[in-house]
Amino acid sequence: MRIGDLYNPTEEHAALREMVADFTRREVEPQAATFDEKGHLNVELFGQLGELGLLGVTIPEHDGGAGMDAVAACIVHEELSKSDPGFALAYLAHSMLFVNNLYYAASPEQRARWLPKTISGEWIGGMGMTEPGAGTDVLGMATTAVRDGDHYVLNGTKTYITNAVEGFIFLAYAKVDGKITAFVVDRDCPGFSTSGKIDKIGMRASSMAELIFEDCRVPAKNLLGDEGGGLVHMMRNLEIERLTLAAMSVGIARRCVEIMVRHGQERQAFGQPINRFGQIQRYIGEGYAATEAAASLVYNVAREVGPDVQNRVGSDAAKLFAGPVGKQVADYAMQVMGGSGYCREYPVERLWRDAKLIEIGGGTLEAHQKNLCKDLAKLYPMS
Amino acid sequence: MKIGVCVKVAPDTDTRIKISGDGAGIEESGIKWIVSPYDSFGIEEAVQTQEAQGGEVILFSAGPKDWQTQLRAGGLAVGAERAVIVDDPALAGTDPLGIARVLAAGIASEGCELVFTGKQAIDDDNVQVPAMVAELLGWPHVSFVTDFSTDGSTFTATRNVGGGTQEVVTGSLPVVITAERGLNTPRYAKLPAIMKAKRKKVDVKSLGDLDLSADDITPAVQLTNFSLPPERPAGRKLEGDVDTMVQELVRLLREEAKVI
Repeated sequence: MRIGDLYNPTEEHAALREMVADFTRREVEPQAATFDEKGHLNVELFGQLGELGLLGVTIPEHDGGAGMDAVAACIVHEELSKSDPGFALAYLAHSMLFVNNLYYAASPEQRARWLPKTISGEWIGGMGMTEPGAGTDVLGMATTAVRDGDHYVLNGTKTYITNAVEGFIFLAYAKVDGKITAFVVDRDCPGFSTSGKIDKIGMRASSMAELIFEDCRVPAKNLLGDEGGGLVHMMRNLEIERLTLAAMSVGIARRCVEIMVRHGQERQAFGQPINRFGQIQRYIGEGYAATEAAASLVYNVAREVGPDVQNRVGSDAAKLFAGPVGKQVADYAMQVMGGSGYCREYPVERLWRDAKLIEIGGGTLEAHQKNLCKDLAKLYPMS
Repeated sequence: MKIGVCVKVAPDTDTRIKISGDGAGIEESGIKWIVSPYDSFGIEEAVQTQEAQGGEVILFSAGPKDWQTQLRAGGLAVGAERAVIVDDPALAGTDPLGIARVLAAGIASEGCELVFTGKQAIDDDNVQVPAMVAELLGWPHVSFVTDFSTDGSTFTATRNVGGGTQEVVTGSLPVVITAERGLNTPRYAKLPAIMKAKRKKVDVKSLGDLDLSADDITPAVQLTNFSLPPERPAGRKLEGDVDTMVQELVRLLREEAKVI
């Protein structure tokens, strides 16, 4: 690590990386396999993220955050994902999808109402966009909101919502007169409930469930921005969501490179370390090159993502390229380790299961391809 | 109460040390520098004392001004208020006594009443500096401390003296305390504190600022040659049934290792 390089542009970024890496080694790594097995969030450990001030990483200091940028957000996600991508995903759903999203959509009064308890970690948050009938086709969402006096009445279901089981407060999108609008809904809103946990193959250290709105009465003062203004918030927040998911993939890949490089030196076959064999060298060499290419792209784009900078092309490209790298390099590491890599005793099989999500969540690879084609056509119009 | 902490920046514990080409030092490129871990125990104890008693924690270093990066991350971001770095070309060739003179002068200039530091730095493991600092200040010192408390005028310090025996030392401030592992668990630097640390004050001083000159730190000891320890030979695996292995182990301990 060199201060001033692409990954640690300032002393504060380097100190942040050092702190999160230290916390990850000492506190996150020892519990990762246990909560993968249990299949839910380690709520107590999540509370420690609040104590460390990590839950408001991108929120300005005068509003109780750390006042850092998208690069810093990538650092936290990358380092946590070296040990526990599932836990990092819960962090992402809370800090990026709820806290960061809320901050840039909310009025000062709303910030004061919700930020302190979500930045401290007293309340766990999440965000509801995907529906049973609308994923990539987000504009096809069916959840509606109708004004009724000083309330809105919401009806519909959001699914695959990270933190829905442990969360208290959610940023949810619903259509008012056909226009996408953002609301804050909490467990005190009558008519709001969550389903049982949805079981999944990976990212098991965070929980996923449905948000269910049945004539759910949400105070009108919980409307974020204007009716119909939800799409702007949604698109803006998707950029940092995609970028930090890509950074998680980088964390998975970097850990897997370390594991296979060590294993390649230690493991002997036919009287020599296996890293002397060309077949193993290909996994290690190509795995490292892919990892560093992904890291370079993600951190390069991160410098150009922020509340005042639009960079959909960059964030889509970063996740499209880096998303599969975590899975690919975890696969290489498992192949280098052979039987031991497939076993629960070592972390590679868990990282391999976790990595797949990044090709789906926060935008499928196909969604990134679609967006890039659309945005690039604007950049290079027909002559 | 002003509480001082003497801090050295040293290569990370994972560093694979390489000797420089001329044999007179170590290869410094590529090294990750950290606050020497025993000094981190000293910083934590100082901050805990400050939280209980009030006052101000000041870090003191004798070294290049670039150390401020590590002092901010490992000290100012975990509760120390400011730092004083004495950076002077004459420091390059000095010895532990020279470093102690510089640190003692810095501590005296700030009027500290209590000083913590690690029991030793993890690079050259000299162990001498803290006792020298105390002597130069005319203060007592207690070394290898695993438990400490003070009411602001008196202190109680517990130290391990070997064989499982603990010694409890009581006395009056001022005092120099050197930290042993186990004294405390250093806290993580919280993110908002990392951000605030960049605005905290680091004074870079010269020897002249402390009324010292290069002559005051002329080394009595010079390091002339470095070499790495010999590589450890591979372990030996004893084979056979338990009785055979025990007999062989005892024979090796007596005849080869000569420890029994």
